[in-house]
Amino acid sequence: MKTVEKVVNPVKRAGEQSPGKIYNENLKVRARREWRGVKDTFYDYTRWLYLIFVLARFIVVPRNIKGFFRYRWMMSYLFVPHGMDKFTIGLRDEALRIAHTSFNFVIADVTQAIANCFRGDRRVGNDKAYSGKCVITDENSMVTFMMGFDTDKVHTILREVPTMFASNIFHQFNVMHYLDIAQQYGIPGDVCPMPEAEAGISIEDDFCVLGCCAVQNNTTCDGSLMGNGIIAKRLEREYGIPTYQLATPLRHKEPDVLEYAAQEIKNAIEFVEKHTGEKWNWDTYFTAARRVNDATRCRIAQMEINSTPYPQFFGAAFSLYNDTNYMGNSGRNADFVTIDHKLLALAQKGYENKRMYAKEYRHRAIVWGVQPQYVIDMLYWMVQCWGVMPLTDMLSVINTDMIAEVDTPENREQAYRDMAMLNMEMIMRNHTHGGFKVLVDDLWELCEQMNADIVMMWEHMSCKALTGMHGQFEEQARARGIHIMWVSHDLCDPRVFTRQAIRDQVNSYMRTVMREEPLDPSLEIIPDNEAY
Amino acid sequence: MSKIAKIPLILLGAVLGFFVVTFTIYFFNLDMKATALLAPFLEKWYDRMEHNQYI
Amino acid sequence: MRDLKHLLYFENLLQEANNALVAQAKADGKVCIAYTCENVPEPLLNLDGTCSIRLSAPHTGSLDIATYYMTNLLCEPSRALLERAIEGGFSFADCVITPDGCTMINRAVENMELLETMGKNNPRFFHSYMEIAFKNTPNDVDLSVLQCTNHILKPLQENYGIDVSDAAIRKAVADHNRICELIRAIGEFRKEQKPRITGYEFHVLCLATYVCPKYLLIDKLEETLEELKTREPEDKEPRVRVLLVGSEVDDSGLVKLIEEQGAFVCCDRFCFGSYPGRVPIVLNDEEDALTQVCRHYIQNCQCPRMMNQEKVYGRKAYVAELAREYNADGVIYEQVKFCDPWAYERTLGSAMLQHDYGFPVLSVDRPYNIASSSGQMRTRVQAFVESMEIKKIQRGGNA
Repeated sequence: MKTVEKVVNPVKRAGEQSPGKIYNENLKVRARREWRGVKDTFYDYTRWLYLIFVLARFIVVPRNIKGFFRYRWMMSYLFVPHGMDKFTIGLRDEALRIAHTSFNFVIADVTQAIANCFRGDRRVGNDKAYSGKCVITDENSMVTFMMGFDTDKVHTILREVPTMFASNIFHQFNVMHYLDIAQQYGIPGDVCPMPEAEAGISIEDDFCVLGCCAVQNNTTCDGSLMGNGIIAKRLEREYGIPTYQLATPLRHKEPDVLEYAAQEIKNAIEFVEKHTGEKWNWDTYFTAARRVNDATRCRIAQMEINSTPYPQFFGAAFSLYNDTNYMGNSGRNADFVTIDHKLLALAQKGYENKRMYAKEYRHRAIVWGVQPQYVIDMLYWMVQCWGVMPLTDMLSVINTDMIAEVDTPENREQAYRDMAMLNMEMIMRNHTHGGFKVLVDDLWELCEQMNADIVMMWEHMSCKALTGMHGQFEEQARARGIHIMWVSHDLCDPRVFTRQAIRDQVNSYMRTVMREEPLDPSLEIIPDNEAY
Repeated sequence: MSKIAKIPLILLGAVLGFFVVTFTIYFFNLDMKATALLAPFLEKWYDRMEHNQYI
Repeated sequence: MRDLKHLLYFENLLQEANNALVAQAKADGKVCIAYTCENVPEPLLNLDGTCSIRLSAPHTGSLDIATYYMTNLLCEPSRALLERAIEGGFSFADCVITPDGCTMINRAVENMELLETMGKNNPRFFHSYMEIAFKNTPNDVDLSVLQCTNHILKPLQENYGIDVSDAAIRKAVADHNRICELIRAIGEFRKEQKPRITGYEFHVLCLATYVCPKYLLIDKLEETLEELKTREPEDKEPRVRVLLVGSEVDDSGLVKLIEEQGAFVCCDRFCFGSYPGRVPIVLNDEEDALTQVCRHYIQNCQCPRMMNQEKVYGRKAYVAELAREYNADGVIYEQVKFCDPWAYERTLGSAMLQHDYGFPVLSVDRPYNIASSSGQMRTRVQAFVESMEIKKIQRGGNA
């Protein structure tokens, strides 16, 4: 089997050495926060203050209070500081700053998204003029088709992100209610719980109702595509919000689907123009395109650092930041550029200083598959507890090609193809769809590029595109001498696999197959199954 | 000591007081512990709410 | 009723994928094209020198090997097909054409390719995957034409020298329509108050037209149609009439089981059924045949993957229209376990058929091979039949 050189951290970690002690099974939150030494604890404290400020600034607005008491999912956002703590387990120095810089920005972005939803929501703010310029899109939707609309004139509302996706990260049980409703109405329990929960939210009438139109997408999977039908029915028939279905081809590596996809983008733009009354602006588009390219360059640079013995930006913060930037932003917000560069500068500094996240790195892992929402801290745990360094995850392995960024007549046509390409190669679906090569062969290439000896394979049990290649992964990993560590979960339903049940799969593999002892035994079993 | 001279001291005291209180809340996770106590009541509130449930 | 003369013959054809007619077609020198989704335009697979064989895995038992490759979380049809392929049950195939329709079936075929389950001694063997339309717009027709050209016609021409001209496609459409007309004519007898064909018998005949070379079935189907014209129906009307909607039904045992409980399956609207799969294709002389065929498939497609709202609502309206046309008392929405598209379609469809169209609906999931779990289904259908009978009595009709 392939092995990699062990890297030992010559510097003893400041502050406490066993962060596992801060969990308490009698509490649904941590007993206390981690002591990281004076400098890093003070930094963490100031970021906590910042989060409290962001939340307070949000809740002092009367309509947001009204929204808070109207929507069950809002309860999750009470636990934002608790959620943030999940991203910083054992972190010090640049690593801590990277996690805060990226995820604090994501939190501020989500908070703004909720505020926007409430402003236009017919049941809460009911700002009709604002709502008339809002376009609703899916949670798993690239918003490339909005890149050419001026953000002060047309507002893109990814309604499902704060309602389902982000809320589940902060509160592991909050989605169960909607899953139960969906199943009560007949959707089976074996479909992917994410679109199922979204369908449940729609059935429960717990989405904000706003917008002059909506654009749905088939970007992720059969379940996501099908759940849209249920959501669109309510949008169109009850609330009179016209809905466009933006079809995105699955076999995205085949050149003969590109023109179709580009035409679909054109049609979606036309639909938005018709309903918002606003025109596509090419200056706005190419400005956004330049930002997309800049973000791509930064991401490539981050991946290069992660290929060295001293990776810096990885785990849930990396993937969620990329998610937000690549998919939810698509170059529309200039603030991301600043954050991209700040993160890269931090990572470069960390690399130059040979900063490490744990006492030692024993293994280098590629994380493949889809991570569970309710164990979002898993990869930080894995490196702290077992010294398995997650170099990158599947969701972060996205487009590396540059798109046309100069406004010329040829590039205006090329732009539709670029948007189509980005849309087709959206996070996750660029590997789970498009044939086995992008799922299986790409993984082995990545293992080679990043010098990985382990694949940590998230087996999201309802993700049929991934589990359909289970045997191929097994056999091909064996042939290549790469360890493959299966970790099953059910994405956002903790009743199927609890947090500890998920960690135990790693514990068993490391003990029985790798015959190793944990780096930090205090983390091997954490009593957080009942925690938010 | 003149009143003007006391202002920096008062400010320093206020900042220090703010720091001690908020740092205590931060370090002992009192914010989240209080929220965890509140959550069951909120859940009941949401459970009692009428919804126009249909497919 | 007296048994249909050729029923046993047709039943025997469904006992294995590599049946007697497939062997005969191979002996005739036909290129056997295996396929897995009804969204692939069938006439393009039945050009001169080729015949289409829809992959199926009758009498599926153990799925152990396929479950190793695909886990037990994928739908049983996908695993059953892979298992059968690994066992060598599809060795007759000269190529496999698969649209990226439902993910699970696509993955099953990809596993077949990686495991080299077919075409070992055939250097011209190929696998071809194609994109299929999501909506019924002109853009989707263009996509379909391009995909059919690049992933069906070109490889057939290049690998096997098949004539893919417009004239060849028109001839294939005419042959296809002949089968459709026969099946539709036979199916018409299901509209009668005292039907002279059972839902089970019809299903056997219809399914045979998918899993056998069509040109070898015509004489028997014609004879059966003639026989039906004079067949004496049962004296008594069926207790209730139901329309069966949902995932593919490869196991006629399911239809038999439903009918054993007293419900006559008066119409079928499932993958590889007669609606819309056996609706004839009408061609004009002005436009090329390929485009017209593709448009026909897109406009008539009732696949849950079609995602625009016109199609989403249209599917339910189509079911309601069929139910009225065939005088159905109720609708059974079935879904093979772990099938995502039909899981959602069943949920929304059963709600809309009840609330918007006023039909009683039974919504069930089921195994691929009904024999593996018939008790539960029997109980569900019995209860449904009784509930509809009670409604009939309450309305003053005959029970």
